[in-house]
Amino acid sequence: MATRAELSEFLAGAERRAYKQALFAVRDQDNALDIVQDAMFKLSESYGERPAHELPLLFTRIVQNVIHDFFRRQKVRSTWITLFSALSSADGDESDPLETLEARPGSASAESAADQVEREQVVKIIEQEISRLPARQREAFLLRYWEDLDVAETAVTMKCSEGSVKTHCSRATQALAKALRARGIEL
Amino acid sequence: MNEAEFAYRIRQALDEGVERLDYTVSLRLQKARLAAIERGVLRQSAPVWVPALQLASEDESQSVDTQSRVSAWLLRFGLAVPLIALALGIVGIKQWQNDQMVAEVADIDFAVLLDDTPIDTYAHQGYGVYLRNENGM
Repeated sequence: MATRAELSEFLAGAERRAYKQALFAVRDQDNALDIVQDAMFKLSESYGERPAHELPLLFTRIVQNVIHDFFRRQKVRSTWITLFSALSSADGDESDPLETLEARPGSASAESAADQVEREQVVKIIEQEISRLPARQREAFLLRYWEDLDVAETAVTMKCSEGSVKTHCSRATQALAKALRARGIEL
Repeated sequence: MNEAEFAYRIRQALDEGVERLDYTVSLRLQKARLAAIERGVLRQSAPVWVPALQLASEDESQSVDTQSRVSAWLLRFGLAVPLIALALGIVGIKQWQNDQMVAEVADIDFAVLLDDTPIDTYAHQGYGVYLRNENGM
């Protein structure tokens, strides 16, 4: 069972990454912070008694689930808005928005500054391009290569097959490399 | 550059980005973390409610087992009693209605046998009531 200190230490180390992941997905600082807070509450309330070594994977799954819940709520909200809005046209699209969600161009670029060092600019560009990846590709890429989950764990977290995880990762890598090359960045 | 190497470099960049979070964001994350831990502690230290009628016993497991069996029996009994009462009530009402109908027909039969009334009164639905009222008066 994780002690209070262990839980606190774990969250202190994981909260920033979780925030970045949420920010990449929802592209809104306040929503991203809400998502991380919800995930922390769920972990602490429901899984606080689990052993400390189980916390990282649990927290990763909770964060992803909370992000998915956010998009589901958005989808429901937009459905009602579409139904009751005379200006909007109902297209009856039943597909998962996470599969096709593309980034709004330039939405996360407000923080650029002229006097930043080159490395900081590169980091920001990389973050922007990651944010522009389709949601499922980004999720797979970050879970595999940032959160260090293996293919099976990533598949369980994303609720898809291992083959899909590999496909998403491969496509994400290709898309990211191409986008960075287009912006003059060679890693 | 292969996928793993490319991903490793991206990972380095992402780690750098994490280290450069705004102070306000870091502060809000810290507050959220403390609130979450506090909630978890409160939840874990919440009292566990024990049924007031639980019998005291030296052997706790045996007590719990016995109590669960007794409560299961009481639950079944509690469900069965209203059902039995409902069934008895339905049978009683049906019996009472039959008795009423037999009595009504008997009154008409008796009046017809005494030649007080024509045979057509069998077809008249309100005649039984009339007879009862007559007898009551």
